[in-house]
Order: sequence, then structure tokens, then C-alpha cells
Amino acid sequence: MGTQVKVQNKIWRRWWPYLIVILGGLLVFGVAHDDSLYQTPILKIQSVNRISQSKQSDQFHNEDEQVEQKLNGIITNGSDKGQKLSVENTYMKSEATTLGYHAGQKVFLTVHHNHGKLSATVSNLKRDTTLAFTVWLTISLLLVLMRFSGLMALTSVIVNAVLFWLAINWNTNTQGGIVLVIFGALAVVFAALTLLIVIGPNRQMLMTLLATIGGTALSIIVALIVFALTHERGVYYESMQYVTQLPRPLFLAETILGSLGAVMDESTDIISSLIALKIEKPDISAKQIFKSGRQIGGEIMGPLVNVLFFIFVADTLPLGLLYLKNANSWGYTFNMTMSLGVVQSLISGIGIVLTIPLACGITSLMMGGWKSWARLRR
Amino acid sequence: MGTITALGLLLLVCMVAVGGTQGLQAWLSLIFNFGALFFAMVLMAFHFSPVLVTLITGIIVLAMTIFLGGSDSDSTMVAFYASVVVLILLVILIIPIEHWAQIQGFGQEDSEDLEGMSTVLGISYLNVAISTAILSTLGAIAEAAIAIAAGLAEILEQHPKITLKNLQGAGFRVGKQIIGTTFNTLFFGFFGGFLALFIWFAGVHYSMGEILNDKILVSEILMVLFSMISVIGTIPLTTWAMVTFEREKRRRLSKSKQE
Repeated sequence: MGTQVKVQNKIWRRWWPYLIVILGGLLVFGVAHDDSLYQTPILKIQSVNRISQSKQSDQFHNEDEQVEQKLNGIITNGSDKGQKLSVENTYMKSEATTLGYHAGQKVFLTVHHNHGKLSATVSNLKRDTTLAFTVWLTISLLLVLMRFSGLMALTSVIVNAVLFWLAINWNTNTQGGIVLVIFGALAVVFAALTLLIVIGPNRQMLMTLLATIGGTALSIIVALIVFALTHERGVYYESMQYVTQLPRPLFLAETILGSLGAVMDESTDIISSLIALKIEKPDISAKQIFKSGRQIGGEIMGPLVNVLFFIFVADTLPLGLLYLKNANSWGYTFNMTMSLGVVQSLISGIGIVLTIPLACGITSLMMGGWKSWARLRR
Repeated sequence: MGTITALGLLLLVCMVAVGGTQGLQAWLSLIFNFGALFFAMVLMAFHFSPVLVTLITGIIVLAMTIFLGGSDSDSTMVAFYASVVVLILLVILIIPIEHWAQIQGFGQEDSEDLEGMSTVLGISYLNVAISTAILSTLGAIAEAAIAIAAGLAEILEQHPKITLKNLQGAGFRVGKQIIGTTFNTLFFGFFGGFLALFIWFAGVHYSMGEILNDKILVSEILMVLFSMISVIGTIPLTTWAMVTFEREKRRRLSKSKQE
């Protein structure tokens, strides 16, 4: 009996990631056929005819082509299920605000019943299958290659996503009045939970948490001082996208959350290396701990700042191009599209750098300073 | 002085104070990457092929970030080669998925920004979307490649006679250490940046179905996922590159000993 259980355990331990991959694959297949879950009518496009094509130009001498197409398909859900329908769609070839569709795609419709006759316009493309497929691909790669550590990384991301969503609803319920309080407190909870999952409940986790919170808070304080001294010249809150509440606190909340992960990443790296060093060489002095920590930190800060820079600024590319094609100057384009992302990157960068001495100081105080404590432990 | 200049100078001072020459290099790589990104955008506005511009910019950015970031010359070289391979594989993955998802351009949530703008552009926004996705992963690829290569270089330094098989195992171990925290860097980086959009969704009471098919949200989540995939892919690829490099080095060494 005992050996049988052991063998089963061994098989389970070897093959569980593949089991999740297969289950996930089935789920993606399900999402591809989930039309009946939607209340909005969905059209499966079976064929497309091009009706007309005409050249367009604007006052900036940009040239484009406008295409009119007829999408013939069949409705796949709701009360009109099975009904054949043709829908007209007009799009610009550059597809910045309009889209061209092709056979095989599914689109959401806005249907109008007109004296028993059905007419409709396309409102959106059905993208949930693509999303599910890419999520599945990521999770599969993560679990197959990284196994247990991958599972832990995934768990922390899921937990954080749920918390994030709860906080957003709380923010909505309070009309955005206390956005900084909510997301500032949330940052502390995020950091504590993530570090608990990644490191486990011990002293190392506590030290890392202290360094993370301290570093993030310091960067925001420094940013506020610089803002006050420079009167926020060149910070264009009006260029913030999707704003439904007061932009300035929202911007600060975004910055806190945005830099939190990188600061956490860095303090984890520094503190775990320093603890490993302390175990290897128990006689190392507090000063030496501080010095090696500074060296480790110095090596990782550059790449980390660049990670955030590309995340914050790369997605302004489409809007930036639009500004440039509308004959705006480089300076104005930068101000209206990239400047806030750059400010965020710089504030996060300052946080990332300031975390280094903080993490080293905390470690050398708690590990190196109290020689008597170390002796007692032995 | 403008706020951006002040913050930039302050960052320089902090970086140099903490990291010395390395701090200066880190600051320069950030400035350079900004220049590269802006220049790439201007080239696209002049109708150069967005994907081609992005590939070339990407390779230059990886080189600058890795060579200005790392210290050991052998391991940085390996990190660079591995990161270029990851970049190319990622492009091969991104192109079909972006064609499938059609998230190019602007969504209905952007309409306020687009007021008074001409959308007769003559640039394929599908290619722009592909470029955006590729560019947003560059930092993550560089960081993971440096972390793995530097970790393995240190192991090689301490145990110069480690077997290649153990070296490979060590690479995956370093990878397992960084994956949890790197994922959170990416998660918070992206979700922090798009806090306003999520607040919009909650405020306007989007249904689950509307959110999961929304152009902007899907494009944003795809970017997070591409970055995560690039980090997952960088771990084995950098490890293999490092092992191959070490194998060649040992072969050369034993050959020269025989002679």
C-alpha cells in the first residue's frame, strides 16, 4: 500500500503541470464557443465582400484609403440565433479608430428591429478567445518550466489581481475622494501578501517589507518636494488618459503602485543575497554587509529602472504617432503623450535607487550589528 | 527648471552617489533608451516600417541596457545574445496574436483624446500595435537576461569546476528565485499605469463580457502576458547560452593544454 501511494505521489509530482495545461486548453476551447453566455448578439462572419474603396487625404497631406465592406454571416446566440444577416462596415486602412473584419471572426452586433426586418451595426470584435489563449500559453509555459516556483508566482499575481479589483470598487464607492489613502494602504497590503507568498513568514520577509515600504514612501515624498519646488512645471495632468476623477492624486496612486513591484523586486534581491552572504561568512561586519549590498544594488538598479521605463512609456507610441501625423511639434507631442510616463519612470527610479541604502541599512542593523544576538542564536 | 529636468538630475545624483560609475552608466542607459524610443516613433511617422524600426531599435536598446548595466564582460555578452534570441522568438509570437486580437488603434474610451484629430494616417496601426507590444517587453528581457547571466557567472567564479549539468540546474534555480518578484514588477508596473482605466470600467459599470472584449484592456493584458512570457523564455535560453559558452571555453582550454 505504502509504495503504491509513493508511486502515485511521484507520478503526480511529475505530471501535475501537464494536467493543468490540458485542463486549461479545454477551457480555452470552451471560451471559443461561449457565445450563448453573452446577451449581446454575436455574428459569425462567413464571407466578406468589398463594396468600395476610395482614397482619402486630410489637411496635413496624410493619405489613406477608406474601404466599405459587407460582412455576411450567421447569428450564433440569443433569440435570433441561426438567422443569416449582412452588415455593412466602413473602415480606414490604417485602422486607428475603425477596424476591417474578415471571414471566420466573430463580432458583437447592435441589432435594430425595423418592421420585422433585422438590421445591425458592428459594435466590437469578440476578443475573449485570444485573451484566454494567451493567458493559457503564459500559464502553461510558467508551470512546465518553473513548476512549483511558477505556481507560487502565479498565486501571488492572482491574489494581487483580486485585491486590486476590490480596491477599485471601494474607490468607486467613495467617488474617488480618498484614492491615495486606499491605494497607499493597498500598497502595504500588496507588499506584505506578496512577500509572504514569495519568501514565507520569517525575519527576512519582515526586513524586505520594511525596505519596500520605506523605499516607495521615500520616492513619493521626494517627488512631492520636487513638485513643490518646481511648481509642477511640465507635468501635464490634462494629458492623463481615462481620467474620471481628480487627476493629481490618481497620478500619485498610479506611481506608487507602478514602482512598488520594482522596489519589492530589488529589496528581495539585495536582502536575500546579503543573508546568504552572512550565512557563508558569519563573521562579516555590519559595514561590509552594507558595502556588498550597495554593490549588488548598483548592478540591478539600471536594468530595473529600464523595465519600468518601457512599461510606462512604450504604450504611448500609438497616441504619439497620431499627434505627430497631425502636424504637432516634437515638443508638444512629448508633453501631451510621454511626459507623465517619463515623470513616473523618474520617480520610480529615485525610489529604486533610495531603496538600496535602505535595504542595506536594515540588513546590516538586524544581521550584522548585534554580534551578541548572532552568538546567542548559535 | 522644469519638473522633469529636476527629477532627472536628482536621479543622476542618487545613482552616482549609490553606484559610482555604474550609477552613471545606469542613468545614461535610461536617457539613451528614451532617445531611442522617441527616435523610433519619429521614424515611424516618416513611414518607415514600424516592425522593422522596432526590431532594430530593440536590438540596440538591449545592447545598451545590458552592456551599460552588467559588469563581467563574458556574461554580459552571453546575456546579450540570449536576449536577442528571446526578442526574435517573441516577435514571432506577437505578430500572429496581434493579428488575431486586432487591438490596434484607439478604443471608445479614447474618444476624448481624439477630438479634433485627423485619423487619416496612412500608417498601419496593426504594425504600430505590434511595435508597442515588442517595445514594452524590452526592459523585462534585458533585466532577466542580466540576472541569470550574472548569477551563473558568480557560480562559475566560486566553483570553476562545476559540471555543465549542474550549471544548467543552477541557471534554473536562479530563474526560480527571480520569477516571483519579476512577475510582480511587471504586474504592478502595468496595472499601476492603467489604474485610471480600471477605475473607468468600475465607474461606468462595464459588464464582465464588455471588459473581457474591450480593445484597450485586452491590448494592455496582452502586453503584460508578452512581458511575462519573455521573462519565462529568457531563463532557459540564457542558461543554455551560458552552458554552451562554458562548454566551448572548456573545449578550447583542454585543446590548448593538449598542444
